Amino acid sequence: MSGSGKGKGLGKAKGQGKAKGQGKAKGKPKPKTAAVAAKKKATGAKKRVPRAPAVATMSIVPPPMPSAAALVEEPFDAAREVHDTQFYLNRWGRVGLRDRAGLHDDFGYDPVWDRRVSPLLNLIYDRYFRVSVEGSEHLPLDGRCLLVANHSGQPPWDGLMLRMAVNRETQRARDLRWLVEDFIVHFPYLGTLATRLGAVRACQENAERLLARGDVLAVFPEGIKGVGKLFKDRYRLQRFGRGGFVKLAIRTRTPIVPVAIVGAEEMNPLLFRIEGASKVLGIPFFPITPGFPLLGPAGLLPAPTKWKISFGEPIDFTSYGLDALDDDVIIGRLSERVRSTIQSMLDRSVAERKSVFFG
Amino acid sequence: MNDAISRPSRSQLESKPTRPRVIAFTGAASFLGTNLIGLMQEDERISRIVAIDTEPPPTAGSKTRLYQVDLTQPTAEARLGEILQAERADTLVHLAFLPSPTTATAWAHELESVGTMHALIAAKQARIKKLVLWSQTLLYGAHASNPNFLTEDHPLRATAREPFFGDKIAAESETLKFAQKNPSTQVTILRTAPILGPTVSNFLTRYLARRLVPTLMGFDPLVQFLHEIDAITAFMVAIHRNVAGTFNIVSDGVLPLSTVIRLAGRIAIPVPQPLAEAITRIAWPLQLADAPAGFIRYLRYLFVADGDRARDVLGFVPAYTSRDAVLDFTSAQRLRDVQLLQEASR
Repeated sequence: MSGSGKGKGLGKAKGQGKAKGQGKAKGKPKPKTAAVAAKKKATGAKKRVPRAPAVATMSIVPPPMPSAAALVEEPFDAAREVHDTQFYLNRWGRVGLRDRAGLHDDFGYDPVWDRRVSPLLNLIYDRYFRVSVEGSEHLPLDGRCLLVANHSGQPPWDGLMLRMAVNRETQRARDLRWLVEDFIVHFPYLGTLATRLGAVRACQENAERLLARGDVLAVFPEGIKGVGKLFKDRYRLQRFGRGGFVKLAIRTRTPIVPVAIVGAEEMNPLLFRIEGASKVLGIPFFPITPGFPLLGPAGLLPAPTKWKISFGEPIDFTSYGLDALDDDVIIGRLSERVRSTIQSMLDRSVAERKSVFFG
Repeated sequence: MNDAISRPSRSQLESKPTRPRVIAFTGAASFLGTNLIGLMQEDERISRIVAIDTEPPPTAGSKTRLYQVDLTQPTAEARLGEILQAERADTLVHLAFLPSPTTATAWAHELESVGTMHALIAAKQARIKKLVLWSQTLLYGAHASNPNFLTEDHPLRATAREPFFGDKIAAESETLKFAQKNPSTQVTILRTAPILGPTVSNFLTRYLARRLVPTLMGFDPLVQFLHEIDAITAFMVAIHRNVAGTFNIVSDGVLPLSTVIRLAGRIAIPVPQPLAEAITRIAWPLQLADAPAGFIRYLRYLFVADGDRARDVLGFVPAYTSRDAVLDFTSAQRLRDVQLLQEASR
């Protein structure tokens, strides 16, 4: 008895889902942008109605919008009303889903949330760091690509700015993902924030998966050593790990584009690092910057340095076979080749620059 | 619903015209057992169903033979062997695992770890041709060093101190040893993502059924579910297809935990981790929490599994996404909230 009842329940649930799906397809042919524009126009006139379409079109759950009023008037439709997704979205979910569509990609990037914070990010990119870009013609139009860059910052901003630079300078507004250290991914709030904006935890599996999708992927082989670079060592590249990125490029047959980011290494000069506190706080070292422990969290705000991001000519390792992966000498040499390329790009950019703050 | 389940099992699968099969289920009255027996009842390729549990599954029909065996008893091994031999069962689907953690850890150990040993010995005695074992992706453990997608080759690193994980990991390793020693038996292990849907009931559905859902302050991991229909489908595919190995059975797509809670129409209460652990340590023995403290790290780190091997090798294609699973669960939960639907079965 209960078996058949269960079957029915399942069938019903799915049938409803389907019906709703069709309802969405037919009832809401408007593209999302139009709906959003309409919402903006109507904001003054009616306060309750305009929000619903925005939520509804973004979420997969379709909007039986006009029926909401009708449902309330029919006293015997309580069950149907309660069973309706919009009922709950209106009541509790709408507040929460207002700024988030729940449309995430596999790595947690949230395009809607990104679009929402982009005015602020654009302001930082255009007005605060005044990023200028050189050599964007070296970025491929499509297909996978590995960007290798220098790393710095307390906390680092270079991944995010690089992402915006790639997005703006490529013709099809390519979407960059960058690999970040574990301690950032698992840092409270910061990790969630970074993940939503396109950061991915650095490990071979993730990198291979992203490249297999055909993404543009940025790596910072200096890793924590780069973040922990003292001010006196600025623009001197640290050791490039164990050449994991070279192996990655050879294994996935991906071209490497060297990237030099100038300006980032002065935005928050690291004077000292205290390494003893690492275990307790979950960070690799405790930074001492001109502002940091002194001014509290506000001391971590970066100085408005002028940034310049230069993309170099692609380096192709596809001539190396898979047997090169086991040869540490070759891997070390190729890693060093990329490192020296970036170092020379950095040196040139720094020499050309007249002022840290005005470029 | 019938479509979703019969599609992969009928058309895509190579079904050799062999003699009708006899399938035995341990844990037959569990959620998966009940639903699978209901489907097998209508499957003409199956001549007999042997349902083994402490209580009869409600879907048992004319083809089903019921046997009352308690796997926690020391005599279970011999009795199970006799039953399998007498019924000439060719396939054993071992589902006798608890879907939710319990405070009765000694009993759970007897059922899961020792019970699996009993079942394996009985399977060896009866020369079972095919063994399907239920496992879970929870056993990978939530760790800071997990990649975003765990493949079947990753070790099971859930903390063995938590009996819920320890017993299941032990059961799986026993089964793998069995598979090595008995190459004539085809062993398929299905590691399902947390199962969610309109009728299933486990610690996850109870967690999401709370009005106020506790989460960890500052953390919002990506989570992944498996729709209950897909879970049942996966077992159907595994039973009918001759593929040995371990497979992650997961739905497509991941969602941040915060989005899941909002989609379910609940309110998240962020709690600092030390406080959450302290509260859970007190609340779990009092049965006020849904899970012991060992589960808290699952609210912090991700344990998302990669279902590509199941898709390519086993031929299991999920029909629902993780999001669909959450929405289907939510639509049923709403009816339960206003008492228009009775409490879900196990």
